[in-house]
Amino acid sequence: MNRVRSTLARVPAQLWVAYGLVLACLLLLALSTTGGLSPDRVLRILSNAAPLGVVAIAQTIVIINRGIDLSVGPIMNTAGIMVALLSVQPGATLAGTIAVVLVAGAAIGLVNGVLLAYTRIPPLLGTLATAAIIQGVYSLITRGQPKGTIPGELRDLADGRILGSAFSGSLVVWLVLLVVVGVLLSRTVAGRRFYAVGTSPRASWLSGVPVRSHTLVAYIASGMLAALAGVLLIAYSGSPSLTAADNYALNSVVAAVIGGAALSGGAGGMVGTFAGVAVLSLLTTVLNSFNVPSAVQLIVNGTVLIAMLFVNGRILGSRRR
Amino acid sequence: MISPLSTTAARSVRRAGLLWAVALVLVVIAAIALPAFRTPVSINSLLAALAPIVLISVGQAIAVLYGGIDLSVGAVAGLSTVVLSLHTLVPGGAPVAVLLALAAGLLIGVLNGAGVIAGINPLLMTFAMAGVVQGLALLLQSTPDAAVPFDLVRVFSVKVGPVPVFAIVALVALVLAWLWMSQSRLGRVVQAAGYDQRIAVRLGFPVRRATIVAFALAGLLAAMGGLAIVTRTFAADALVGSSSIIDSIATVLVAGIVITGGVGSILSVLPAAVIIAVVGQIITLTGTDAYYQTIFKGLLLLAAMGVYQLAGKGIRLPWRLRGAAIITKEAAR
Repeated sequence: MNRVRSTLARVPAQLWVAYGLVLACLLLLALSTTGGLSPDRVLRILSNAAPLGVVAIAQTIVIINRGIDLSVGPIMNTAGIMVALLSVQPGATLAGTIAVVLVAGAAIGLVNGVLLAYTRIPPLLGTLATAAIIQGVYSLITRGQPKGTIPGELRDLADGRILGSAFSGSLVVWLVLLVVVGVLLSRTVAGRRFYAVGTSPRASWLSGVPVRSHTLVAYIASGMLAALAGVLLIAYSGSPSLTAADNYALNSVVAAVIGGAALSGGAGGMVGTFAGVAVLSLLTTVLNSFNVPSAVQLIVNGTVLIAMLFVNGRILGSRRR
Repeated sequence: MISPLSTTAARSVRRAGLLWAVALVLVVIAAIALPAFRTPVSINSLLAALAPIVLISVGQAIAVLYGGIDLSVGAVAGLSTVVLSLHTLVPGGAPVAVLLALAAGLLIGVLNGAGVIAGINPLLMTFAMAGVVQGLALLLQSTPDAAVPFDLVRVFSVKVGPVPVFAIVALVALVLAWLWMSQSRLGRVVQAAGYDQRIAVRLGFPVRRATIVAFALAGLLAAMGGLAIVTRTFAADALVGSSSIIDSIATVLVAGIVITGGVGSILSVLPAAVIIAVVGQIITLTGTDAYYQTIFKGLLLLAAMGVYQLAGKGIRLPWRLRGAAIITKEAAR
């Protein structure tokens, strides 16, 4: 009993808020729609949120490390464009295509990482600049009109159901990544050092943590996961686009912040980020069922971010005092 | 006669001497190499392109001197073009719509400032606000009967010789903002807060008021920038300002205003904006792909940060190895 209580006491207050929001959104969903709360429906909503889920994992890793990655949107677009282009090449296999795309994402992440680990450029501005450059490059190469088609097997990743269950391929990819990254971050030495570096780079450096390689790895992982999110997004949407993923930078930051990630580094995690993605996707579904235009969803997401920043700021502030 | 004002101006120009020289040389080279650059039409379009960049960048410069960054300027510019197009729906017509557009910018700026006072990081506050404002603009854009008031826009696009009237407005706004920032009490409080907020608060400066005013001015100038854009495009477009964020930050950084706040002169925004506008004009005139412009701006942003870092007078960040994700005064401690 006492053990349960002490475990509960160690749960950060932000997580209570985050899962409270999930519960509220589920209630809203149950009350507002006729479909209600069938497990199948909730799973389908989550399955459609898989691209956001994967890119939110990327964003959380970077934010824990006291960074931010605004280039995830353009990286996702790049991945989608590349998938469509590579799939129509003669002799292309799905596995080979995805491998090439992931390597490309990791390469962009490496550029971000080198830029931010070895200079004192603030991450927000550095990734804003690389985002603009990536956008310019793919617009130039595609001449504004992405070509190619998506192989049918890829569509199955988003639409198909595994073994007749309610789980789609992309949902499984997301959940597996969530668990793997979560365990790596909280149960391994190298993973926990991301938190150390984010909390105090100087103290970590003085105690012998290789700060720069952690920053590098964080951005490489972010680039690679963003590329994977781009693959999942195009599997869902079916056609490459120059702008489809533009809102993912904002939304991934919102998801991470709802989940308790602090932009000052060292806080946040996979359990919270899952709640953040769930809140955003459930909220979107509720708004869609009221036929609210997508512009309103932008307003709602922005407002939720401001409110959560305020609440989390208060929680952190009260703990410090 | 030496007045404090001329000393401030002279020092600002001397410090940014290289920048003025580069801007001048760029204009001269473009004028010699490209005959099309010298035509009145080209000069007029260059100045028309310069006006929104200068207006929005001056607002951004105020936010940066305060020690924040305003990521909502692009969305505010878009919103102001949309509000202008609603002139048929408001009593009083087009002039009232202009006032409403400016008031909307001011109000959003005040909200940004209020959020920052409430302890939210300025970058994130304005980032989230950009989402809200853009959503609002997209929503209003789909209003039926919305159209840009052509008569009024025609008044706005009146030219004095080859100079569009908004270029003059932008120049006046730049000089006024510079005078306010360098000569007025509150302007100096903004800079003090940007340099070290904790000390500014302990000295009893009205930092809260400075916060609100700095972001309010950034919002107002972004809304003016939106109106300047309408005189070129004649269309209401919620997304028209999406490139303004990177434009204005690049301009401010090229102008040598230190990204962590407190150091720099608004006067240097002019040559920096000229460089960006002239390169844009060269890309257009030589028929180079417009997408190169996006790449150029990204590279310029990186280069500006790199150069000022190497020059050693730039980016003061907490410690040697790496900086915070976003520059917080807390992290700088």
